[in-house]
Amino acid sequence: MLFNDYPFLLVFLPAALLIYRLVDPFPHLRIGVQVALSLAFYGWGSPSFILLLIASIAVNWFASVVYGRVKWKTVLTLVVLLDLGVLALFKYANFILANLGHVFEATLPTLDIGLPLGISFFTFHHIMYLVDLKRGKAPLYTLDRYALYIAFFPQAIAGPLARWSEVMHQFGRQVYVPGWQRQFCIATCFIALGLFQKVVIADSIAHLLDPIYTQAARGPLGSGDAWLAFCFSFQILFDFSGYSDIAIGLGLLYGVQLPYNFNAPLRSTNIQDFWQRWHITLMLFLRDYVFYPLVNLRFLPRRWLPVQFFGAMLITMALCGLWHGASWTFVLWGVVHGLAQIACSLWRRYGPHFPSWLGWALTVLFVLATGVIFRAGSVEAAWHVFAGLTQPLPLARGPHLWPLIVAPLFAFLLPASQDIVAFFTRRPNPFLAGILGLGLFALLLHMGGRDLHEFVYFKF
Amino acid sequence: MSSSISSSESDSGWGRSLLACLGTLIGAAVLALALMVVVDPYDSGKLGLLGINGVNSRLTQITAASRARDPNFNAAILGNSTAQMIEPAELSRAAGLRFVQLYTTGSAPREQLAVLDFFLRHHKQVGALVIAADPGWCVHARPKEEGAPFPYWLYDRSVVTYAMRLISWQAIEQAFQRLGIGLGKRQRMNPDGFVSYEDIWPPGRFKEINAPRDPAPAISTEMRAVFPEISALQDVVRSLPPDVAIVIVVPPTFAPTVPKHGTEAALERRACDAALKAVTEGRLRSNFINYRIDNALTRDRDNFADFIHYRPVLARKIEQGIAASLRDGESAKTDF
Repeated sequence: MLFNDYPFLLVFLPAALLIYRLVDPFPHLRIGVQVALSLAFYGWGSPSFILLLIASIAVNWFASVVYGRVKWKTVLTLVVLLDLGVLALFKYANFILANLGHVFEATLPTLDIGLPLGISFFTFHHIMYLVDLKRGKAPLYTLDRYALYIAFFPQAIAGPLARWSEVMHQFGRQVYVPGWQRQFCIATCFIALGLFQKVVIADSIAHLLDPIYTQAARGPLGSGDAWLAFCFSFQILFDFSGYSDIAIGLGLLYGVQLPYNFNAPLRSTNIQDFWQRWHITLMLFLRDYVFYPLVNLRFLPRRWLPVQFFGAMLITMALCGLWHGASWTFVLWGVVHGLAQIACSLWRRYGPHFPSWLGWALTVLFVLATGVIFRAGSVEAAWHVFAGLTQPLPLARGPHLWPLIVAPLFAFLLPASQDIVAFFTRRPNPFLAGILGLGLFALLLHMGGRDLHEFVYFKF
Repeated sequence: MSSSISSSESDSGWGRSLLACLGTLIGAAVLALALMVVVDPYDSGKLGLLGINGVNSRLTQITAASRARDPNFNAAILGNSTAQMIEPAELSRAAGLRFVQLYTTGSAPREQLAVLDFFLRHHKQVGALVIAADPGWCVHARPKEEGAPFPYWLYDRSVVTYAMRLISWQAIEQAFQRLGIGLGKRQRMNPDGFVSYEDIWPPGRFKEINAPRDPAPAISTEMRAVFPEISALQDVVRSLPPDVAIVIVVPPTFAPTVPKHGTEAALERRACDAALKAVTEGRLRSNFINYRIDNALTRDRDNFADFIHYRPVLARKIEQGIAASLRDGESAKTDF
């Protein structure tokens, strides 16, 4: 089930809100009902893997309880390794087999298994909790609360990657208390803004770009199409930012404030700034659970610490790339971003001052260029796009290119979604709220006449 | 105290805002649905209280429903744009039936079968069916659907499936067009569905585009005789009364694209032709005619707009062949 689909918006969401409204006065029922709703949501979208999700919750929670009794850290280490193993099996097994086949010049079999929805995200949620438990930072939780942390439907499939410390205390709170109407207005704004980004901007760009990337996988591009393909980063920005905003809005409808995931990243003036504004929750995860542990490892002499620091940065970004998909192009994308961060870090320390406009322009160009590698699926296809940039812009396509004019304007000029929502919800305004209702209806009409595009991050 | 009053006032302000938002959303949705129920934007017969007849659109995938349920017709022409130039009026005159053109642009066989099923559900008495079978019918495995999605929901039996698709800009646009027809401010499109593509592809021009999409060869000899789309058609035809005439035509293509004798492609083509022929065999006034041949007519570029879209000269020949078949069955003389 997709957030941008009628079954979710017109059936599941109203039903889930109604059910939760009925149980809201009963504290002992709230979390259980939210878990049931979340499992129903997951089961609807990925029925074949619902047992995997339930087993994953049970095993990880049981390990935390065992650790609470015996304080044996190996239990947690083993379960984290098991989580990573399951992720590797579903997401990377065929990639590993294919590469082993290349190394040993043999044809190894491929596994015919699908990718469970949200596996990358719920694995990371497990890891965040278990590592913090091991570090003595996290307490033990009851099964229902832990299950909700992992399966909470607004965030289960593609984040935001919420820390246990950010959301656990919010689960089970009464929603319909004084002030709930304001929360719901804010939630509706987030959902409307998210849907607009997804179905109007990102899907319109996808409609233009998908056939071009299909062609790029087959051979060179003509007619200036490469210039359109070069703009893929706008699509993924509005696709994922839209998804995150809808998730945040849905969370608020159940009394849970999820962390923000984007902060107008294409207004960044350098690549380090960019990574603090793009998929923020993933970067915080990588920082705390990959980068810092790598930097704090004592395996190089003190004078080599900068090398270790930059090495850790590069490895973290390479893993960030690999996390996005089992392909060397994703690794390449991550490594290139890691190198850019190292270069940026060195420049800021030793290089001359950069005017911020130049930094912004270079950052945007870099993000757009690397976005081509991210989307193309192979270095060859990416090269077809880059080679096609020698052709003139396809201006003859005129009005059909509107998504690629609107998207950059929004990305460069508008503040982050949370700031836009905060601006419009400073005080109640029934007139504006009516306009928002009309806007939501227009979005429903827009969705009704088009084919559905899955959120890009559902693949990750 | 004052803080409590202010908070309560603020809450009521937010409450009014929430009400305004949801009220507008739900109100607009109810109004739109009411419009849909009254007008039935696609003339599907599932809704519609005003009794407006016909539609005004060139989107054949959605307008075919209106024509397919029109009781003024008792015979139909099915296919994609390679069937478009067959004039139903000509066939009606020659065969004494009332033909409607139900071609759907760019459609695959399973989509044409959905239209056929809709036509059959709305007609107890069917005189004849003409099917223009392009290479899409010759696939050995049903391909994954690609491109613009076909509106199966329009041809579905379920009103709920249909109603769920009526919240769209397209449905609202169609509803207003239908209202325009009802008010006499718009003309409904030709009821028999004939639209020549020569208004967009004028005579005298040949574009080297739209090569016939012959399917990939079968991976084994056994697979060569497997045609899932033709089998689905066969099932439909078997369910029809014996007096319903079936004429299947393979539309002509520009001669250089006709499979050369002795090639793998020719073997494939022959197997497909045999399967199509089997659908009509043994039925009264039914026939299979293969116009995809290499002759003087198909070698002449002037007879085509591109590799697969033929000009009226060939369409008239095809109509004569169909009319003869509806009269004489397999023994008909089909001069081409």
